[in-house]
Amino acid sequence: MFLQITSRPMPLDRKRAIGCLALVSSLLVGMVGCGSKSESTSTETAGESNTAVAASNLTGTIKINGSSTVQPIANAVKEEFAKLYPDVTVSVDGKGTGNGFKMFQDKETDISDASRPIKPGEFEACKENGVEFIEIPVAYDGLTIVIHPKNDWVDTLTVDQLKKMFVGGDAAKKWSDVDPSWPDETIEIFAPGTGSGTYDYFREVVIGKSEDALRSDMSLSEDDNVLVDGVAGNPYAIGFFGVAYYEESKDKLKAAKIVNPKDEQAYLPTPENIASGAYAPFSRPLFIYVSTASLPRAEVATFVSYFLENAPNLCERVGYVRLPEEIMQRAMNNLDAENVGTHYIDAEGNSRSGAVADIYQPENLTK
Amino acid sequence: MSSMPDAIVKQDAKYLADNARRRKRFSLWFYFLCVAIALISVVILIFLMASIWSQGHSRLSSDLLTRSHSELEIERSGMWPSILGSLFVCGTCAVVALPLGVGTAVFLEEFQPTNKLLRWIHGFVQLNISNLAGVPSIVYGLLGLTVFVYMFNVFGQIRVNESAGMEIMGYKHFYQVLTLEPGHVVFVPQSDPTKRQTTFDEPFQAVDPDGNSIEISIWTPGTPKPSDPAIRRQTVRAGAIGGTITERSWYYFRLPFDKSFLSAGLTLALVILPIIIISSQESLRGVPSSLREASMGLGATTWQTVRDVCLPAALPGIMTGAILAMGRAIGEAAPILVVMGAAVAKSTGPKHLMDDAVTMPVLIFNWAGRQQDEFKELSAAAIIVLLVVLLLLNSTAIYIRHHVQKAQS
Repeated sequence: MFLQITSRPMPLDRKRAIGCLALVSSLLVGMVGCGSKSESTSTETAGESNTAVAASNLTGTIKINGSSTVQPIANAVKEEFAKLYPDVTVSVDGKGTGNGFKMFQDKETDISDASRPIKPGEFEACKENGVEFIEIPVAYDGLTIVIHPKNDWVDTLTVDQLKKMFVGGDAAKKWSDVDPSWPDETIEIFAPGTGSGTYDYFREVVIGKSEDALRSDMSLSEDDNVLVDGVAGNPYAIGFFGVAYYEESKDKLKAAKIVNPKDEQAYLPTPENIASGAYAPFSRPLFIYVSTASLPRAEVATFVSYFLENAPNLCERVGYVRLPEEIMQRAMNNLDAENVGTHYIDAEGNSRSGAVADIYQPENLTK
Repeated sequence: MSSMPDAIVKQDAKYLADNARRRKRFSLWFYFLCVAIALISVVILIFLMASIWSQGHSRLSSDLLTRSHSELEIERSGMWPSILGSLFVCGTCAVVALPLGVGTAVFLEEFQPTNKLLRWIHGFVQLNISNLAGVPSIVYGLLGLTVFVYMFNVFGQIRVNESAGMEIMGYKHFYQVLTLEPGHVVFVPQSDPTKRQTTFDEPFQAVDPDGNSIEISIWTPGTPKPSDPAIRRQTVRAGAIGGTITERSWYYFRLPFDKSFLSAGLTLALVILPIIIISSQESLRGVPSSLREASMGLGATTWQTVRDVCLPAALPGIMTGAILAMGRAIGEAAPILVVMGAAVAKSTGPKHLMDDAVTMPVLIFNWAGRQQDEFKELSAAAIIVLLVVLLLLNSTAIYIRHHVQKAQS
């Protein structure tokens, strides 16, 4: 009798507990089942449409990592590519240009996105690991120097003035330190984080190749929205970030005209000025680096040539500036001829800098 | 009466009444203070909810629930792959963490150490669990990266064009060759898996999706090129290169796990394991020892006591802990960013065990950092969806718990 009392409810509970567990695990298995089912249906429909609309039966996996600046372009290309080649899996990660090259050297990725050309150290590491690549510029990104709309004293800025504001421990603390006619107020600076390609690029333009850092008392943030809000909230603030972000926040901020060191004229970062190279030195090319070991794979070859053909249109749709036809043509020639190597490092291992139209020339190619 | 305190015996009635009123008033103030403090957190929560709702409600649409992230049609971006991804990751996490957590708690609570060595093990495990509960989740992310993603490189590194790690089951390798018809490829089964590429110069046999073999002929440049699409689909250029592709079944299994939802789920399991263990321990401790003693007294073994008495009695408490832990798991972004990366444009849920996934927190993190206003609104809408999914999961668990409790009483 007492045995019944203690044991009666227990099997029931055990059943329920087992039931719960079974429920959870069946849910998981069911989901996996669903996933694989949807896969089979997608291949079926692809097969059907293959005869009807002649969609491709190309399949495979392409791994891309690198700059988060280039990620939207790669995502856009992937999106359009998937409409034509639904069975190809393209994974586009954005861990940053430096991390992307690290993975590229370790043969973890097929394509590396980069918001700056490859550095000599990274190039060496690629050579050591036997990774050969084709360097392909895909779009322009302009760096916009932004100020508060109420800032009426700054119209044009020269690189020297920026140097005074941004470089070193004795950088100008007040606007009047840069130009005596400007207000006697503290300069508040908002800049992207030190890990970003944008920060690297700005530093290289303003400081050059030396190892100096930008001043350390800036407000740094990886989140561009923080930079926009920071500059928009203080009339005495200045900041910089990619041109795509400026396009979105034009109503809150003002872009400063930058004096081109070559012709001494000041230009706004408009798409025309960036494409013509007049907005110098703050426009930069964005690249993809394609591993030649991956190119024989039909899916990679198809994707890369699709990328090249469509990058000019698609990059504009995600806020960047298209490269001139001429440069895209040179890139296509490099891809067709499998011309490996970089244009941005010379035979002695020093990096070149300058406008992409001047540097991206066949004679500058270093293997 | 003489034992009464002077203050009560000697004071006059008026003083006593005033004193009582004063103390009661003070008590009332204290009550209001507590209500106010409690309200502050609720008000903050309501304020947050309201601001998220006002930002995101316009983006709550069927597109959001059924489509995937889109760079070109931002207004039609959706989060379906991330909902699936989060469920997969958290499902893995639950399946792994619950048995491990409850098992550890049973070991610590129900099997009291009988000798010095066991006592030392007990103390060691207990100390570690208490410490692990306070470790930030990003640290677990780095741990997961070494242990699950790379597995200390003991099973080889996964490298494109070279090695896919140690594949165990559910895979078939093919060479994929482009035919003369643009965009059309044929597949040739691989006989030697170490040869990742091959060149075709002679006519060869390929297979179609149903497994039937088809004859593929070779076209040499310079000779007339076939124009009929059907023939072009069965002809490749001389010297065409076949690259390796892998057909994976849903049970595809490989070591190391690489950036898969399985790695992410296991990492999250590590994150919530201490929470589950500690809450399970608490609820096992709450089981009256009289029940345990009665069971033992009837001659039941420790195992029978744990199975039939302690666990059923502690189940509601264990489930409460599990619900809280799962709530944390579904909202974690940091360890998942480290383990699976920041890719958000995946258009499906995971298709096999080693597939990667997008999760809701990572998608929200990405969207919230974009400059376009549409993405900011979408991220608010995605937060609403995340909360609803969490609520649904929790209410299911609470419903089950309620039933278990009712069955017991």
